Amino acid sequence: MISLDVALTLPRFELRVETDLAGGGVAVLGPSGAGKTSLLETIAGLRPRARGRVVVEGAVLMDDASGVRLPPEARRIGYVPQDALLFPHQSVGDNVRFGLRSGARSGLFDELVEILEIAPLIRRSPAAISGGERQRVALARALATEPRLLLLDEPLAALDVELKGRILPYLLRVRDALRVPFLYVTHNAGEAAVIAEEALLLREGSVVRQGPTEAVLAAMTGEHVDPAARYENVLAGALEPRAAGMETATFHAGGARLIVPATPTEAAPGRTVFTVAPEEILVSERPPERVSARNRLFGRVMSVRETPDGTWLRVHAEGIAWTVRLTHAAEEELAIAPGAGVWLTIKAHAFHRLA
Amino acid sequence: MTADDLGILWLTVRVAALATVLILPFGVACGWLLARWRGPGRTLAETVMSLPLVLPPTAVGLLLLQALRRNGPAGHLLERAGIELLFTPAAVVLACAVMSFPFLVRFARTAFEEVDPRLLSMARTLGSTPAAAFRRIALPLAWRGILAGTLLAFSRALGEFGATILVAGNIPGRTQTLALAIFQRTHIGQDAAAMRLVVLTVALGFVAVFATESLTRRRARRIGV
Repeated sequence: MISLDVALTLPRFELRVETDLAGGGVAVLGPSGAGKTSLLETIAGLRPRARGRVVVEGAVLMDDASGVRLPPEARRIGYVPQDALLFPHQSVGDNVRFGLRSGARSGLFDELVEILEIAPLIRRSPAAISGGERQRVALARALATEPRLLLLDEPLAALDVELKGRILPYLLRVRDALRVPFLYVTHNAGEAAVIAEEALLLREGSVVRQGPTEAVLAAMTGEHVDPAARYENVLAGALEPRAAGMETATFHAGGARLIVPATPTEAAPGRTVFTVAPEEILVSERPPERVSARNRLFGRVMSVRETPDGTWLRVHAEGIAWTVRLTHAAEEELAIAPGAGVWLTIKAHAFHRLA
Repeated sequence: MTADDLGILWLTVRVAALATVLILPFGVACGWLLARWRGPGRTLAETVMSLPLVLPPTAVGLLLLQALRRNGPAGHLLERAGIELLFTPAAVVLACAVMSFPFLVRFARTAFEEVDPRLLSMARTLGSTPAAAFRRIALPLAWRGILAGTLLAFSRALGEFGATILVAGNIPGRTQTLALAIFQRTHIGQDAAAMRLVVLTVALGFVAVFATESLTRRRARRIGV
């Protein structure tokens, strides 16, 4: 349980967040400059001017009413910023050890090195490893403090899609194996959907929406809250072992059995994650016949939203909520309304593997 | 090279080294405060600390002399404590320290300013107190700049003349450093003897500045500028 009631005066507006979060994975969404990073810094104790109350898993970190204000070093809040911020004068191993407390349980270091697969990097300098590796090391370092709460500030934003594919499974693994609650700031709705059960949407310092991630994303789709946001479909599921010589593979996500490109089998930890861009999904009223695309799903339209850059549909098909983007002309021709049954057609190669 | 020359060299190196060691903790502390302090008075403090850079050394020497003479503000206290400072080797150390202090502070300040403050915040979230973050992050990241500043301060101390001659005089074997001896020997027409000392100062200065330069260059390469 994370209970926040904080205020902080920022140059353009007042950050004012009063909310209770269940404490699993929480996505913090919102446009640039909405106060997302300031909120994380307030929780971490890095904003001396913040006011209010922060309680994490029963521990009062800050409470103006009773005069409690723990310094950052006493809060045990793990923080992973966008640019990792590894200490450049220390090896990767020393960076991770930096977070170990004197009373840390033995074996923690080895466990983190194993979960995040950084053993080959231990002796290297942070300058000599890739962006995705740096993020993994920063994550290990934050986890070494055995934090009450992890704050992840767009840890994937600085990475390209291929690198993201290398870090996302580790985040999922950390979430599932270590059960540390976290706040995850992101611009990417797809990432939020796959990693967090709960989401809150910030705009100009205030929470404008909060609830289950899927519901917040559905309400956000097409809403012009964030020009930089990407509404990819991100699907987490299990990949069937590839049959020899096949160029496609079968991927189970939600209730769907999808045909995706076969990728070289590698030791991918945990679940497999694929994305599909909203533009890559075809919509038809009748089942498409004799088409080359491998995936045809029947679903129901949940919402339709018009924006200057197209019409956004949320379609529930085979246990998955899909985001689909159509041109205005296409939407007019199809005359789609909420509740209508539609067919979605997706090429196998429209699926890109993230993890 | 005579025994006299070597005696002068030894005295010079000793007082310059002592002065440098003396100002090191204060210089690092002032550099850190100037780099981090965002409140009022920052420019004023910086200006005051840099004054010895722009004032004629003799002016600084005269101010020190006024402060340290028997009925001066500091001299009064020293006398009560039974300490004789003026015209002693200790006065040379003091003059050198005052004149080279701004060099150290400027280098230390720049070195600390190059340390990303977010790294210090990060160290705090990882359990470091402010003092530990300074020791484990700021100092190791800034040490090259601090060392360069220390070497430059040392070089400045080696050549100190104006302030020294006013507070310590020019007493052979006691307060006469290389710079003072060169002046004196030239003054009495011993140009060749003065020249031998010049060669010594060139060698000393060369080593110190060369070390400073190579340190700064390596630092620049490391941070990619």
